[in-house]
Amino acid sequence: MTENERYLQALTRRHFLTRCGVGLGGAALANMMGNLAQAEEPRVHNPLAPRMGTLPAKAKNIIYLHMAGSPTQLELFDYKPELKKFDGKICPKEYLDGKRFAFIQPGKNPVMMGPLFEFKQHGKGDTWISELLPHLASQADELCVIRSMSTTQFNHSPAQLLLHTGDPRFGSPSMGSWVTYGLGSENENLPGFVVLASGGRTPSAGKSVWGSGYLSSVYQGTQCRNTGDPVLYLSNPDGLDRKTRRRQLDALRELNEAQHRAIGDPETIARIAQYELTYRMQTAAAKVMDISKEPKHVLEMYGAQPGVKSTADTKNVGDKPLAAASDPAFANNCLLARRLVESGVRFVQLYDWGWDHHGSSQPEDMKTHLPVKTRQIDRPIAALIKDLKQRGLLDETLIVWGGEFGRTPMRENRGGRYGTFVGRDHHPFAFTMWMAGGGIKGGLNFGATDDIGYYPSEDPMGVRDLQATILHQLGLDPFKLGVVRSGLNSRLIGPTEEGKVRKEILG
Amino acid sequence: MLYPIEREMMKSVGILTTGVLLLMAPLARGERIDFSRQIRPILSKNCFACHGPDEKKRKAKLRLDTREGATGERKGGPAIVPGKSAESEFYLRITHSDPEEIMPPKKSKHELNAAEIGLLKGWIDGGAKYDEHWAFVKPVRPELPKVQNGEWPRNAIDHFILARLENEKLRPMGEAGRRVLIRRLSFDLTGLPPSRAQISEFLNDQSKDAYEKLVDRVLASPHYGERWARMWMDLARYADTQGYEKDNTRTMWPWRDWVIKAFNDDMPYDQFTIEQLAGDLLPEASSQQVLATAFHRNTMTNTEGGTTDEEWRVAAVKDRIDTTGLIWLGLSVGCAKCHSHKYDPISQTEYYQLYDFLNQSADADRGGDDPKRALPSPFYLSQHAELAQRVDKLRSKLAGLSGEQAALKAEFAKLSRELNDKVMKMKPPAIPVMQELPPNGKRKTHVLVKGDFQSPGTPVTAGVPKSLHAWPSQGPMNRVGLARWLVSEENPLTARVTVNRIWARLFGIGMVETEEDLGTQGELPTHPELLDWLAVEFRETHKWSLKKLCKTMVMSATYRQSSQIKDSARERDPRNRLLARGPRFRLEAEMIRDQALAVSGLLSRKMYGPPVMPLQPEGIWKTVYNGSNWRTSKGEDRHRRGLYTFAKRTSAYPSFLLMDAGSGEVCLPRRIRTNTPTAALVTLNDPVFTEAAQALARRVVAEGKDQRVAARLAFAFELVTGRLVQEVEMAAMLRLYEDQFKHYLEDGKAAMAIASNPIGPLPEGVPVTELAVLTVIANVLLNMDEILTKG
Repeated sequence: MTENERYLQALTRRHFLTRCGVGLGGAALANMMGNLAQAEEPRVHNPLAPRMGTLPAKAKNIIYLHMAGSPTQLELFDYKPELKKFDGKICPKEYLDGKRFAFIQPGKNPVMMGPLFEFKQHGKGDTWISELLPHLASQADELCVIRSMSTTQFNHSPAQLLLHTGDPRFGSPSMGSWVTYGLGSENENLPGFVVLASGGRTPSAGKSVWGSGYLSSVYQGTQCRNTGDPVLYLSNPDGLDRKTRRRQLDALRELNEAQHRAIGDPETIARIAQYELTYRMQTAAAKVMDISKEPKHVLEMYGAQPGVKSTADTKNVGDKPLAAASDPAFANNCLLARRLVESGVRFVQLYDWGWDHHGSSQPEDMKTHLPVKTRQIDRPIAALIKDLKQRGLLDETLIVWGGEFGRTPMRENRGGRYGTFVGRDHHPFAFTMWMAGGGIKGGLNFGATDDIGYYPSEDPMGVRDLQATILHQLGLDPFKLGVVRSGLNSRLIGPTEEGKVRKEILG
Repeated sequence: MLYPIEREMMKSVGILTTGVLLLMAPLARGERIDFSRQIRPILSKNCFACHGPDEKKRKAKLRLDTREGATGERKGGPAIVPGKSAESEFYLRITHSDPEEIMPPKKSKHELNAAEIGLLKGWIDGGAKYDEHWAFVKPVRPELPKVQNGEWPRNAIDHFILARLENEKLRPMGEAGRRVLIRRLSFDLTGLPPSRAQISEFLNDQSKDAYEKLVDRVLASPHYGERWARMWMDLARYADTQGYEKDNTRTMWPWRDWVIKAFNDDMPYDQFTIEQLAGDLLPEASSQQVLATAFHRNTMTNTEGGTTDEEWRVAAVKDRIDTTGLIWLGLSVGCAKCHSHKYDPISQTEYYQLYDFLNQSADADRGGDDPKRALPSPFYLSQHAELAQRVDKLRSKLAGLSGEQAALKAEFAKLSRELNDKVMKMKPPAIPVMQELPPNGKRKTHVLVKGDFQSPGTPVTAGVPKSLHAWPSQGPMNRVGLARWLVSEENPLTARVTVNRIWARLFGIGMVETEEDLGTQGELPTHPELLDWLAVEFRETHKWSLKKLCKTMVMSATYRQSSQIKDSARERDPRNRLLARGPRFRLEAEMIRDQALAVSGLLSRKMYGPPVMPLQPEGIWKTVYNGSNWRTSKGEDRHRRGLYTFAKRTSAYPSFLLMDAGSGEVCLPRRIRTNTPTAALVTLNDPVFTEAAQALARRVVAEGKDQRVAARLAFAFELVTGRLVQEVEMAAMLRLYEDQFKHYLEDGKAAMAIASNPIGPLPEGVPVTELAVLTVIANVLLNMDEILTKG
C-alpha cells in the first residue's frame, strides 16, 4: 500500500469531510498529503490560493463599473461652458483632418454641440458633476475624477479589449484574470473573478473581455446572471435535491477511491476534492447571489428589487434594447457587488450596456435616454460607496467607473444628416473616468481637457496608466506581473514602458 | 519570476518539484558542454533581450546570439575569447564585484547563479562553440539506442523511451488490459468510446494480431476524421460567425466538412497543407481544392460601424502569418510584426516579407466576406448522391410497372420528376475562399512601423527568413511556393512540429511541451532523438500519412502500457514526461459530452452539414446585435457530436468553454487542461448531461436482460465504463439505490421530474421510481474520474 493509500484509508468519510471543510480545496488537500498527491494537471499550489502581491497593497478587492458603449463625459463630468458658445457652429477643419471617427465622415463636417444638461460643483474639491447624477454628487468627496483619459481605439470592441486585456486584439488575459492570477481568491467556495452584466446585452467584445487569454482558464471570469442560475449549471437538476446530491457524491467518492486504489493516480484524489468544492460552491454561490435576504432599508438605498426581471431583456427598439428608468438590473448588481467583495471575491466586474448615445435612434438619444440610463445607475452607485464605507470596506475596495472611450464635442451627423434624435460620436482622444476607495485620493479633480473638451490639456492619462495604477493599488507590480511567452514578458500593461503608476492620485 | 508561473507555461527545463529528475536529455559525465541544451537557454533568458537579434534594442552594439558577434573584434577586445574565460570581457562582467558593472544589470531582474556561471566558463574555456538551435537543423534519422531489456520494445519508439527510462532507473509498466486499450484507442483516434459490439469483438479475437486489427478498424472509422478535424478547427480558429462586435453568422462549415473528409481519406499532410494554403492557385484547381482555402478565411471580419476595412484586412493578413507560423513552423513569428524578434532570428523586415505572400488575396474585410464561391462540399455531395439514388430507384420501379397500373405509374412518374428537379436545383452554399488579385492589381507591401497599418515603412517583396531553410530556386513566389516551402524536405520544423502535436494528443504532453514554440524560447524536447526519428519516419517512410503516423505511435509498447502508477514513478516523474506508464489524462470537452450521449444511446452519428444548436441555458446569447437567436435543434440534431455545435465567437458554447475549449478568435495550439468546480457543475447539472443520464436509465431498463436491481446496475456500469463492475463499486451503487428508492417512493413528484425533465414522458410500463433512481445513479457514473479521464 502506498503512503497515499494509507492516508486515504485512514480517513473515514466524516473525517474526510471535516478536514476538507470550508476553505480547503483540491490543491490544499494535495499539499496536506505531501507532494505525492500532485495533480497530473500540475498544481503544486492551488492556483487560486490567496497570496500577497509584491508591493504593499492599498486595496484587497476591486469593483469595476464599466459603462459599455461609452457614456458622454460632456454631459456628466467634463463641464465645458465654452462649448456652449460654439453650439450649432460647423466644427473647424483642424479637428477633423486625419482623424477617424465611427460615423462622422470626412467632408461631411458636423456642428459643435454644447452640454445638454446643467452642472454644479460639489464637495471639498468643487467637483463639477452633472444634474443627471444628484446621488453620486453627494459622494463627491470620495471621488477622484480623471478628466484627461485617452485611448488609441475608436471602435467598441478593440477599445474594450485594450482597456480590459491590454491588447486591442483578441487572445490576452483580462485584468480580472491577471489580478486573480497574481493574488488568488480569498474565498475558495466562490469564483475569484465574477462578472455581472446588465442593460440587456453583454459588451461588444464578447466574453473575451473577461477571458483568461493565454493564462490558464482557471482565471477566467465567471459570469453570474440575473436570470436562471446565477452561476451556469449551479442548480441541481429538477427533482434532485441537495440530500440526494450529497448521497450521490458519497457514492461517487467510493467509486473514485476504488479507481485510485487500482491506478494510484493522484489526480483522482484531486477529482474527489474538486467535487467536494463544487458541492460547497453550490450553497455558497446561491447564498451570496440571493439579495432578497437584505434588509429593506438596504434594498431601498440601492433601489434594488430582488427577482424583478430586467426590462432591457425583453423590450427592444430595432435591434437595441430600450432602457427603462425602473429597470433594477444595475441596482441589483451593485448590491451583489458589495455582497461578493464582502465574501472575499477579489474582482467584481460590472458591465452595463446602453451608453452608446449616437443620436441615431430612440434608445441612443442623448436628450431623452441618457437621463434614463443615469437614473438606473445614479442611486445604486452612490449607495454602493456609502454602504462600503459604512461597513469599513471602502478603504480596501477600489471602485473604478468609466467607458471604453469618450464622445465627440460635435453632434453626430450620421450620413451627413441630422434627424430627430441627438447624440455624439465615439471620441478616443479625451474622456472621463473616476475612481473611489482603495487608497485613491477622494475629492480630487485630476487632469483637464481644453475649452471644448477635445484633447487633454493637463496631466494626460492613458489606458496603460490606468491599468498600472489599478494593479499597483492591489499590491501587484504592473511591470513585473506577466508570464514569459516565446521569451517575451507578456503583461497587462503591454510590452512597452509607456504605462505609469499615477502617484498623483494616490491617497 | 516573482509571480507563481504555471508549470505548463514555464519555458525553462527541469524545474519541477524538488527531487524530480531533470527532464532534458541527460549528459554523461565528461561530455562536452552542449551549446544548444546548456548554454543557449542561459544566454537566451538572460542576455538576448539586449544582446540578441533585435537590432533596435541592441545595447553596446554587442550581440551574443551569433559567434561572430560574441567573438568579433571590438574596442577593448572581443567579448568572448574562445578558450580563455579570464580574458573574456563577457566573463569578467558576469562575475564582476561592482553592482554597477555586473551583467546582467540589476534592473533587468535577471541574475546568473553559480552553476550557470560555471557552465559559461566551461563553455568559453572549451572553445565557445556555437551550434545552431536544434530545431533549425534538419532532422536525420538517429540510430536506435541500445536497451538492456530487449524483450519490451515493440517498435522503434520503445527503444528511445526505454533507453531513457533505463538511464533514469525507471521501469516501464506492462501492457494494459484489453478493455482499457480499446477505450484508450477509441478516444484517441475517434473521440468516442467503443461500442459494446466493438468491445466484444476485440475481447473475443484470439488471433495474435488482434490489437493491430483493432487499430486498423479504428483508423478506418469515419469518426476518425471528426476527432482530428476538431483539433484542426482549434488551430484554424474555426467559428460559424464573423467575430468582433457584430459577430454575424457566416457559412464556413463546408470547409469543416472538407477537413473531416481529408482526415478520413488520409490525405498526405503535405497535400493537406498545400491545398489549404493555396489550393486555388494549383493548376486546374478542383472545386475541393478551392474549398480547402477557406482555411485562411476563418479570420475574423469586422463590420462594426465606422471601422476601416483596410485596418482589419491587415489584421486578418497578420493573423494568417501568425497562424501559419504556429501551425507549421512552431514559431511565434507574430512577435516580429512590431519589432525584430528578440530571441528567434526573424527580423521585422523578414516578417513583412512573409506577409507579402499573403497580402495578395482579394478579400478585404468586406461585410459580405467576398470573395465567396458556391462549392460542393462533402455534405452537399452526399446529399446529392442520396437524392440521385432515390430518383434512380423510383425510375427503375417505374419501369417495372405494367400498363394496368396507370394511376400508380403517373404518380411515380410525377414523384420522380419532382425529386429530379430538386436534385437539379440543389445548390451548395457560398463560402469565403482565397482568391489571388490579378497580376496588375497586386498590393505593394511595406514594413509597417510598430505594426501600424497607417505607418508604412520600407517596401519589401516576398521572401522567407534567412535563418530558416532556403527558398527553392524554381519555386513560384506566391502562396503555392510558400506552401511547398513549408512542406519541403529541407524544412527542419514542419515534420517535427506535426509529430509533436500528434504525440501530445495521444500521450498528454508533447515531447516539446510548448507545442506552439520550438524556437529558442521553447522547451527542449524530452526525447530529442525520438522526435527526430518520428519526424523522418513521418516524412520519408510514411510519406506524410497521418494514419500511418498514428499507427506507429499506438502500436508501440509505450502507448499500450498500463497507466497504473508505481510510487517511484509518481515521485520522480509526476507528470509522466518519461512515460514509465501509460497516458492518463482528462478527456477534451467535446469527448466528455459525446461520450455521455454515446453510452446513453442518444448520440447521432450523422456526419457533415450546417452547425446545430443543442441544449444551452437560456440567455447565453445576449450580444450587442441580437439578430440571431439560439434555437434548440430538433430531433437527432440535438445530439450530434460536439464539433457540429454552432460556434459563436463572442459567445462560445458554455459547457465547452468551461472545460478549456477556445472561442475560435485566435489560433489555439493546445488546450491547457484545468479542473475547476464550474466544470464539475457541467457534468453534474447541465441539462445535456441530465438528459443523457435519463436516457441511460431508460436504456438499461429496455435493453437489460435481467430485471433484478443488481443486474441493472451492473449493466449500467458496463455501458458507461466498458468494463465489469467490482464488488466494492456495486456496493456503493446499491447503497445509493436503496436510499434513493425510499426517497423517491415518498416524493413521487420529484421522481417524475428527475426521470423525465428534459427528456420527455416516461416509456410505458416502467415504474417512475425505478427510472428516477437509475437516473440519479447514471448521473453519478457519468461523473466518475475514470469516465472523465482516458485510462
